[in-house]
Amino acid sequence: MISRRKALRTGAGLAAIAAVGAPSILHAQTKTLKITTWGGKWGEVMKATVLPAFEKEFKCTVSADQAFPFLPKLQVSSKNDPIYDVLHTNSNEQWNAVVEGLVMAKITAKEVPNIADVYPYAVSDKIVGVTIFTSAIGLGFRTDKGLTKPTSWKDLADPKLAGARGGYLIPVNSLGQAHLMMLGKVYGKGLTDLDAAYKALEALKPIKLVDFTGQMEKMLLSAEVSMGVIHDSGVYRYEGANMQPVDFASPSEGVLALEQVLNVTPGSKVKELAFAYIDYMLRPDVQKLLAEAVWYSPANKKVKLEAKYDAKLLTTPEKVATLIQPDWKWYNARREDIDARVTKILKG
Amino acid sequence: MTSAAIKLDQVTKTFDGRVMAVDAVTLDIAAGEFFSLLGPSGCGKTTSLRMIAGFEHPDSGRVHVGGRDITDLPVHRRDMGMVFQSYALFPHRTVAENVAFGLRMREVPKPEIERRVAAALAQVALTGFETRKPGQLSGGQQQRVALARALVVEPPVLLCDEPLGALDRKLRQQMQFELKELQKRLGVTLVFVTHDQEEALAMSDRIAVMNGGKVEQVGTPTEIYERPRTRFVADFIGEINILDGGGPLRALRPEKIRLVAPDGARLAGMVETANYLGGSTLLRVRPTTGSSMLVRETHAGERASRMPGDAVGLTWNDSDAVALES
Amino acid sequence: MSAAPNRRPFDVGRAAYLTLNALLLAFLLLPIAIVLVFALNPTPYISFPPVGVSLRWFEKFFGSAEFMNALWLSLWVASVVLVLSIVIGAACALALARGNLPGRAVMTAFFMSPLMVPAILTGLALFQAYLLSGIGRPVWGLIAAHTLVAVPYVIRTTLAVLHNFDRRIEEAAAVLGASPTRVFFEVTLPLIRPGVFAGGVFAFIVSFDQFPVSLFLVVPKGETLPVVLFNYMKFDLDGAIAAASMVSILLALSVVLVLERLIGLKAYVKL
Repeated sequence: MISRRKALRTGAGLAAIAAVGAPSILHAQTKTLKITTWGGKWGEVMKATVLPAFEKEFKCTVSADQAFPFLPKLQVSSKNDPIYDVLHTNSNEQWNAVVEGLVMAKITAKEVPNIADVYPYAVSDKIVGVTIFTSAIGLGFRTDKGLTKPTSWKDLADPKLAGARGGYLIPVNSLGQAHLMMLGKVYGKGLTDLDAAYKALEALKPIKLVDFTGQMEKMLLSAEVSMGVIHDSGVYRYEGANMQPVDFASPSEGVLALEQVLNVTPGSKVKELAFAYIDYMLRPDVQKLLAEAVWYSPANKKVKLEAKYDAKLLTTPEKVATLIQPDWKWYNARREDIDARVTKILKG
Repeated sequence: MTSAAIKLDQVTKTFDGRVMAVDAVTLDIAAGEFFSLLGPSGCGKTTSLRMIAGFEHPDSGRVHVGGRDITDLPVHRRDMGMVFQSYALFPHRTVAENVAFGLRMREVPKPEIERRVAAALAQVALTGFETRKPGQLSGGQQQRVALARALVVEPPVLLCDEPLGALDRKLRQQMQFELKELQKRLGVTLVFVTHDQEEALAMSDRIAVMNGGKVEQVGTPTEIYERPRTRFVADFIGEINILDGGGPLRALRPEKIRLVAPDGARLAGMVETANYLGGSTLLRVRPTTGSSMLVRETHAGERASRMPGDAVGLTWNDSDAVALES
Repeated sequence: MSAAPNRRPFDVGRAAYLTLNALLLAFLLLPIAIVLVFALNPTPYISFPPVGVSLRWFEKFFGSAEFMNALWLSLWVASVVLVLSIVIGAACALALARGNLPGRAVMTAFFMSPLMVPAILTGLALFQAYLLSGIGRPVWGLIAAHTLVAVPYVIRTTLAVLHNFDRRIEEAAAVLGASPTRVFFEVTLPLIRPGVFAGGVFAFIVSFDQFPVSLFLVVPKGETLPVVLFNYMKFDLDGAIAAASMVSILLALSVVLVLERLIGLKAYVKL
């Protein structure tokens, strides 16, 4: 039996060693993963459930930046010691980032095993990084204004909707940019037919323009507009909480993809952890949790959602086939000209 | 109350290294004297005063007070009283706090402060105004607070920078009497800066007339008035006729001239204008030759004996025409 | 019998003046009124006419740990900025007004320059400087940045007071035996205090409402209220934003009122 005094001495000695050694040991074991992520309901679920579980499993801390703008902050920080390890943005910003070498060009199943289970759109040639979720951009509309459910993008041009249709300030909103390309496809030779798109945009006037999707949601809820370009999540997420007669329609020409993309910065000091995080975000249980929280369509084919989500989100190969992915590389290269042109069109 | 003599010894001050404000000024001010620095603006009188106070440091020369060289002593150790034209009362403090300030800086015990503040305010007839703020007082009252504040510390020297300049004429005359009376009673050495020659003549024991940074003349009011040494002093004090008859210029006061019949007079001429001044009339007479002369006629009756257009003769005693230094 | 009072003729100029004032007041207050309606509106969008009155957005605001953390951080930062900028600003103003410094005009322009550079650039430049020098983004870095843009306000208001300051008052104190230090605390400071505090009110509000400078300098979990509100708006545009705005307005107003009570802007006017 060890005497009490000896035990105390040993204890004190261990404590002293621990005190001296602790900082370096802690430093070596507890890595920090710096990521960007969305706010709102998504951010709540991330902070309450997803990130704590990840930290526990991978014995790390996650510093999640929810404050825009992510890209300028990343641009300013050193490429060898970037301010983020994982960048979460929509697809078009990833294209901007990759041009400057701020994110990796391609991520495969070798680094992120769960990529083997994603739908093709998630890693298509229109994507830099990996898509973890997508929304479908279509038409939101009031069901109490005597409108039939729109079946075509052209329904937004219905003269009855003059002044009661909603769109975006194209220079600042990617839904507006995607819609512009869709106009080229619907009224012209394809997504890159800008002349047809400009003409069609002109025909949509008078139109109420906003810069955030949140504002479009509010305009539909308050009946300030009767129909507007919006992503499915922006309508479905009010389900239950909102009694307003607003619904979402997927036009027959196809819906536009609004992808949530993750990517790793080449200079990251914790690349393994960064890939592990992306892999984690693609796990079926994590995908299900987030998809049902914010009405995003999961990129992982194996996810099984509850019936009410399954009915509305893109969860089968057939439904996924209606997604049209804009070519952001092409668009970003012409962005300044397009901005100048559409500003002129929408001002007049 | 003790008083101290002040001595400026060859004191010189320039500003920005160019403008000569005070040029080798030497002054001896006796203890208990009412001494005025008189001159037009820019003559160096205020700068001289500020060097005595310690706000300006002379480029060369020394300042002595009570036999002690204080040239390098900071302002707050000089133990002087000062009254400013703008009064410079502390606007955020009451009348009593203003007066108590100097005692507080000297760490006088509180009961004594109260007693002396009350006495000082009584001395300037402001008892009952203790809790007012300066903004609630008239100009004359503020002036008296400033005086009480300066005198309550019983300084050996009181410096006054145009202290009555902001008062109206009637109040000013009253304050002249009060200040003079107070100074004599307390025996304090008082250096008084003014551009008003009447004020200087009325109050001072001695006056230094300054011009262009230099002292032109030091003397009693009578000496300054009756025996001006330079043309500047003669011109600056009262009305004067300057006679140029070859040799040195001579200064002749208008009241020294007698009006006589044109025949046999020193000068004959005609009255141009007659300015009625109450107790006297100032006549401008144009002689047949030379420039016009000012003549003061004191009259017991209602008006002067001569009217504009009258032919008159002028005469005076040679001893009244003072020779001026050139 | 008393004479009939003179009837004042109708004055077109005066009527126009009053109308203009009323319009200006409406122009200034109307946005606040709209925010208030939105904050008390039970629906997550503005509906006219309002369908009811509810405090649910205030409950959401005060019940959210994120908003509360941000609110306290903003208040804390703004308070520190208030103290720092009145000390630095008053010292700068005194140096500029009294220092007899060469190139005073240039230096004044230099101290005012944070007001001329767009705040977003100040924030971006400081962010870059902090990252490059390895400082990272500590909260004192944010405070320093806010102080940088707040100090010019204190300098301006203090210089205004110093401009009308009768230095004879300080001289009077010195003659009465006050050392330069005592002159400063007994006379100078009390007399410039209204100007300094008026600048301090600006400094507090500049910091509390600061968005562009903070944008790059806040860290995850250490975001100030304006940044949190901006990001919140991108995902949830509901009445909580309006409730937060009302709380901000009331807080700023109470700071002004408390300082007014403490030092009295009347004294400022009188000087």
